[in-house]
Parts: sequence; C-alpha cells; structure tokens
Amino acid sequence: MRAAASRAVLAVAALLAIAPVVFLVSLSLRGVDDVQNGGWLPERVRWDNWPAAFQTVPLAQMLANSWVVALGATLLTALVAVPTAYVTARAGRSGKRLHSALLAAYCAPPIVAVLPLYFLLKSVGLTNSVVGLALVNGLANVPVAVWLLDGFVRRVPAEVEEAAWVDGLSVAAGLRRVVLPLIVPGLVAASLVCFFLAYNEFLFAVSFAQSPSAQTLTVGLSLFQGDRTVQFGQQAAASLVAIVPVYVLAVLAQRALVGGLSQGAVR
Amino acid sequence: MTATLERPATGAPAARARTRAQRRAGHRVPRWLAIPAVVSLLITGLYPAAAGLALALTDSSLARPLRGFVGFDNFVAAAESVAFGGSLVRSALFAVFATALAVVAGTAGALALQARGGRFGLLGAVLLLPMVTPPVSVGVAWKLLLAPVGGGLTGLWDALGVSGFNPLGSGVGAFATLVVTHAWQWAPLVLLLVYAALLGVPAELWEAAALDGAGWWRTLRSVVAPVVAPTVLAAAVLQLVIAFKVFDLVAVVTAGGPGVSTIVASFEVFRTAFRGSFEVGTAAAETIVLGLLVGVVLGAAGLVTRHTRGDA
Repeated sequence: MRAAASRAVLAVAALLAIAPVVFLVSLSLRGVDDVQNGGWLPERVRWDNWPAAFQTVPLAQMLANSWVVALGATLLTALVAVPTAYVTARAGRSGKRLHSALLAAYCAPPIVAVLPLYFLLKSVGLTNSVVGLALVNGLANVPVAVWLLDGFVRRVPAEVEEAAWVDGLSVAAGLRRVVLPLIVPGLVAASLVCFFLAYNEFLFAVSFAQSPSAQTLTVGLSLFQGDRTVQFGQQAAASLVAIVPVYVLAVLAQRALVGGLSQGAVR
Repeated sequence: MTATLERPATGAPAARARTRAQRRAGHRVPRWLAIPAVVSLLITGLYPAAAGLALALTDSSLARPLRGFVGFDNFVAAAESVAFGGSLVRSALFAVFATALAVVAGTAGALALQARGGRFGLLGAVLLLPMVTPPVSVGVAWKLLLAPVGGGLTGLWDALGVSGFNPLGSGVGAFATLVVTHAWQWAPLVLLLVYAALLGVPAELWEAAALDGAGWWRTLRSVVAPVVAPTVLAAAVLQLVIAFKVFDLVAVVTAGGPGVSTIVASFEVFRTAFRGSFEVGTAAAETIVLGLLVGVVLGAAGLVTRHTRGDA
C-alpha cells in the first residue's frame, strides 16, 4: 500500500518534471494553425520552426557564446575554488572565516553587484565581451564550488597529507599531488554545477552584453517575446536548443552530479 | 626533584605531541593559497558594496558615474518610487511562498523515492531535470503551457469548466504562477539533499520502528524527522537565498505585469537602472535597501535554524 502510494507520487512528479519540456517539443514541430488548435500532439509534424528560429535570431552564434562563457567561467571557478576549499577546510579559524565571507557574498542577490560590475567591466573594456561574462560568472560561482568542495577536502585523512610532508613535499605540493587526486569526484560535480549555473545565467548576460557578438543563448531566448502567437513554434525550438545540451550532460553525468551534490552538502 | 622523576613518565607522549605540533607548525596552510579567494571576494563582494554605496550617494548616469555628492537624495527617490516599496514586499512574499512549496514538494518526493527503495537511477535523473533547465527556457515553457489560446492546458481548463482560463491575466494568478514555476525548478534540489539525508537514517531504526508497530506517520515523526530535520532546514535557507535572486523568470514570463503585480525587487532595480529613465543613483540606493532586507531575512532564518538544531 505504502509502496503503491509512493509509486503514484513519483509517477506524478516525473510527469510534472518533463511535461513543460515535452510540450515545447510538440510546439516546435507544429505550424501556426496547428498551435492555435491546442492539444499536445501535432496534427502534422513539420520541422521548419527549427531553421526559422536560427534565422530570427543568430542562434548559432549565441549557442557558441554560451558555451565559451560557461566553459571559461567553469575553468576559472575551479582554479580559484580548489586552493580556497583547501584553506576553508584546513586553515582552522581563519579558514572558517573565509568560508563565512564567501557564503555571505553568495547570499546577496546578484542584482546588487550588477551596477558596480558594469562600471568595472566598462573601465577595462570588457562589456559586450564573452571574456567579461566568463570572468564575472566564474568569480560569482566560486562560493558554490567551495561549498561543495569543502566537505571533500575535509574527508581526505590528515595522515595521508602528513605522510607526503614527511616525504618532503610542501603544503602546496601536497595539495596538488595528494589532495587534488582524492577530491576529483567533488571537483567534477562542482564543475558541472558551476557549468550549469554559468550556462543558464541571464541577469549578467543581459546587463553586460548587448551586442550580438557577445549575447548568450538565454538573452536570445528573451528576444522572442515580441510576436506571441506567431512565433510559438520558433520560440519552443529555440528554447530546446538551449535545453538539449544541458539535459544530455545532466543525464550522462548524473552519477557524478548526484554523488557530489549529496556528499558535499551532507556533513 | 619531583620534576625529574616525573619527566620520564610524561616525556614520551609529550615529545610525540611536540613533534606533531612542530610538524603542523612547519606545515601551516600557506597564506598565499587564499589569495585567489580574497581577490574574488574583493571583486564580487567588497568592491560592489563600496561602489554601490558611492553610486547611491552621488548623481550618476550609465555614461558618467559619480558626478557629484547628493547625500540621501537617491534613497528619498527610492522611497518615493511607486513600484519599489511594493517590489520589496513582493520579493519577500515570493521567497517565502516559493521556499515553502519547494521544500514541501521536494521532501515529499524524497520520502516517496526512499520508500520505493532501489537506486536513484533513471527516475532520479528525470526528477532532477528541472533544476538544470535554463530558467529562461523554463519561463518560455510555462508561458506557452499557460497561453489562453494554443496553450497546453486549454484542454484541462475545458474539462474543469473554466474554458479560456488565463492565470497570467490577473495579478494574483500571475504571481502564483511565478511561485509555482520557480518551485517546479528548485524542488528537485530539496529532493536531492533530503534524499541523501534519508540514506543516513540507519536501517535498524526503520526496522525497530516497524517491529514496534509504528505506523508510517509515527515513524516519520519519531525516527526520520530527528535525523533529517537539520537538512530540511538547511535546504529551506538555501531556497530562500535562491528565491530572493529571482529575475529571469519574471523578465520572461510576466515582465512585471499585469500592472505592477509581479515586479520583484531585482526586476525593479534592473528597470530603474537599465530601462526607461536610467536612474543609476536611485537603482544603487535600491540595491542597498534590498541587500539589507535580504540580510535581515536570511539572518533571522539562520538564527531559527541554529536554534532548532540546538534543540534537536
């Protein structure tokens, strides 16, 4: 009975989780009249929304921009977060203070930083630039990565490190040669999470990059707002262009993601 | 005399402790390892706070910031802004409702997943998909789903006898839609965190409860809740943080409308700074007020969490 009830709850939950995206798929395969008729199944499947979406906005360029920004940001986040998580986990009280400062910075809504960062990027010529967006996203996601990595560093036994020091390694070398290999699962999970955050980001992208050469996919999607009824199919297709890569990545890396998120968060 | 006599007894462990302490001292975490973090905090934390304050106290435009000290004029302008005060209230309401819904739904899902047994597996992966969906796409999907003509739910409304129902047409409906959509996206994070915590409930406890004839509800309250409560609370605080950041959903689904009914603080600040009037100083003053509000709410939530954990 209980098993039946929980199965029912899970079935409804799974349906709810995929229904909006399934509806997007259906819309993307329908013409204008077909959309107006309503319903979930296309009367006649047609693919012309997909190429049309790529023509309405420079979708291919935006997709490339999104990937460059997300990959660059993730790399930067990882480079900063690994030594930082080592400090927060191993440097006693000052490590704890650093951890608190990072969490406090994460708690502030990003809109608070948008105006100051806009003027900063402008002064160094990095507005309308994927490099600027990658820098901002990369630094903004550091607290999330440290939050996830801190627990992984803590679980590396102190004895393992001490043995490395006895062998003559410095603390920094021990971090690179002994600790880093042991926290790879955490680093993979944290990198995935930060990739998703940077890829999905909208506020910084829309504030700092107005020119098409640097606009990301999320900004491109918001540009479809104008003609509502006419562009349903194209809008759905463009949304799916953004969704498909992250879904593929999330399903492929599901085990790493779940392991990292659940282990990093549960102390 | 006594000292010399006692020394051999304590000498060995003391010496061992000393070498260990020396080893630790010789291998303190070098300070330079914190440099990347400090630089990162300077750029994303300290500088924005200082520059935000400077902008809030001066006359500024996007082209020419910091044109002259104006005292608290910008704060007065923010206070007099018709939309801003309401947007703060809306942000707080949004955060509370979205958090409550996500925590309840996510915890229920985690309990169901745990009761089903077996591995997290494909079902788990499907349940987590909303979390990785770009919020802009989430907004587009739900907007199309709810469209009065050609939307995915028109059939449902017909069946319920409310043909042509348009949740985005009324202020309350639009606000509720945003809350549900946001919770749809973030309940999976609660599910994942609580599910992981549920795995930490020892199997013997479940068995003992079953042997004692405890029902489902009783087991939940006496066995599961004490173990999982800290995680649920932590997940709730995290949800509050995430919900206060909301911007993209509003921008895509309602653009603040109908009227001003879904203008949350992030969206209002953005409008003030980058759309229409470009009132940079006023927007900066608004961000300071927003930052303080979020700080107070999260501080209170943190205190409640600590208090509850201390009691548990």
